[in-house]
Amino acid sequence: MFLIEHHGKELLAAHGIPVPSGVFVPAGGDIGAARTPDGPVMVKAQVAAGGRGKAGAVQAASSPDDVARIIAGLDGRALNGKPIHGFRIEQRVSFAHEAYVSLSVDGEAARIRILVSPEGGVDVEENQGRARSALALPDQLPDVVKELCAELPSPAREALNDAVPRLADIFLQHEATLLEVNPLFLLADGNWVVGDVKLVIDDNAIVRQPAIQTLLERHPDIYPESARKLVHGFDYVEVDAQGEIGLITTGAGLSMQLIDELKAQGRRPLNFCDIRSGQFRGDPARLIAVMQWIVARPGVKVVLVNIFAGITDLAEFARLLVQAAGQVPELRVPIVARLIGRNLDEARQILGASDLAVTLEPDLDHAIGLVLATLDGKGEHRG
Amino acid sequence: MDSTLFDPAVPVIIQGITGRAGRTHAQLMQRYGTRVVGGVAASATASREPIGSIPVFASCADAVAATKARASLLMVPPLDVLGAVEDALAGGVELLVCITEGVPVHDALSIVRLVRQRGAVMVGPSTPGIAVPGRMKIGFLPDAALTPGPLGVMSKSGTLSYEVCYRLAQRGVGQSLWIGSGGDPVKGARFADLVPLFQSHAETQALLVIGEIGGTEEEELAEVLVRARFTKPVFALLAGTTAPEGVTMGHAGALIHGTRGTAASKVAALGKAGVRVHATMHDIVEDAARMLAPAARVTLS
Repeated sequence: MFLIEHHGKELLAAHGIPVPSGVFVPAGGDIGAARTPDGPVMVKAQVAAGGRGKAGAVQAASSPDDVARIIAGLDGRALNGKPIHGFRIEQRVSFAHEAYVSLSVDGEAARIRILVSPEGGVDVEENQGRARSALALPDQLPDVVKELCAELPSPAREALNDAVPRLADIFLQHEATLLEVNPLFLLADGNWVVGDVKLVIDDNAIVRQPAIQTLLERHPDIYPESARKLVHGFDYVEVDAQGEIGLITTGAGLSMQLIDELKAQGRRPLNFCDIRSGQFRGDPARLIAVMQWIVARPGVKVVLVNIFAGITDLAEFARLLVQAAGQVPELRVPIVARLIGRNLDEARQILGASDLAVTLEPDLDHAIGLVLATLDGKGEHRG
Repeated sequence: MDSTLFDPAVPVIIQGITGRAGRTHAQLMQRYGTRVVGGVAASATASREPIGSIPVFASCADAVAATKARASLLMVPPLDVLGAVEDALAGGVELLVCITEGVPVHDALSIVRLVRQRGAVMVGPSTPGIAVPGRMKIGFLPDAALTPGPLGVMSKSGTLSYEVCYRLAQRGVGQSLWIGSGGDPVKGARFADLVPLFQSHAETQALLVIGEIGGTEEEELAEVLVRARFTKPVFALLAGTTAPEGVTMGHAGALIHGTRGTAASKVAALGKAGVRVHATMHDIVEDAARMLAPAARVTLS
């Protein structure tokens, strides 16, 4: 879960980390109603992606009119395909220097990577001139951080000596996979302030992170994937709101691959879906949820179900599919179900005896062929 | 890595055997030929009635003492995995196969550290399991895809490997040793760690790698293939080449930030190492079948 900067800063501030004072104006929201800070400000588009500065999504403003003009220019736009959720209007900081800190999980080393630099700015990851980096296990983090910061020149040394251990605590406590502060503003009086923060929380840890859960409950619109996963226990990502093919699939790799191959053929899949059919335990709730998300998108003309059953009993799956479709009568498009694995014959009987408009096909290439034929108007409509 | 751990006769216990999935798969594995010698139910309130002929113990130490098990299949909920790993290592288990999906990354950091300290081998978390097709499987790799043959398999994705191996099996190309390494960013055996095992594995004539975007495992693999002078043909398929940046696609490891973990970087690294990288299931199946299918081999010889 990639926190927008505003939420990242609120979380840091709750831990006593200095951040510039700022307010959030939602996309399309009323700027007049917001209590914007006095004096010169920054207007920062809130979007879960990097590269905002280069894309012109962070701009300085000196008057309320300026703020309004900048927001009007950015509102409704997307950055790297990600929607702008709103704007943080933030007091501008006069700083003497910029520094850089990041903590991230390094999979290869199975350790936490710390990177500190006395220079912040846009290209710090490319130009790691005076940067220092180390790997540490969680319990070694305080010592390693101290050693790293000691190697830096003043005044970054003093500021980072204070900032990095506190940021490392937050990284561990909230089970982050990335916490990057760039820039960390060093002020003339020796104090420091977080200029920007990228904070990514491990989705699998959210069940034991109450503060993050509260954030998700308040902002399911900003974090639809993580909010869905917390409530429903599986992954669903809408990749194209105008998509024509709804996917009800199990397995992350195969679902990704299907999307890649459909796109390569110029087709528009609606969604990624790893429904984890092995965890249904006789409950159609996940299927009902996915069907509802699919019918909410009017562009969908056909649904492809793909289950290569490892852990899943296909007979049970077929029963639940029929039950779920009964709960979502708005789902009227044809369904092509590619099922293979345990209890296929029984599944075939169950689907055959139902009044669902479903074609069962055990071969994936043939199933994709049926889906494309339906889109091209060559499919036989059943039911 | 001790290759005898992947012997078809390795004795296996199942942690979490009294759960719904544990019970079912204990019996399916046994029917497949796996030597399931025991199970562990760690909860104080759990019933320890045998599952069929399989005795159930309170801890791995008890189970290993009674059965001489060397491997354990972990089928416990995500937040219980760290404790189950501690129990397995304390009990002397040498090979841990963890199918659990959704293990928190910070738990995985502790898990990998413990496993390395003990010199044990871990496959997963988020693995569908390992198999010597026709002989044994630890986990739930579907029988429909398992066929004995010449192809070593390592995969981050369960379902995509089932699909590709199933198609290849229909073309007469089965598998020698199948290791689902799982899609988590922090895990036990990584692609690169498995290279020596497949290098020395006599039945393996070629290697199938099912990778995906995110992390650096494919790049690490490319380096080790070159360094180890791996001589068997390697085929690779990469999933998620069109995935959006910053969004997790099911596998926690399949997350791109900036240019790290992109498909382009992986394709380039693997290509340079002589790996036959493909973009579609159809292409990789055709290429591997052309080289390995029985008819093709007759023609070549």
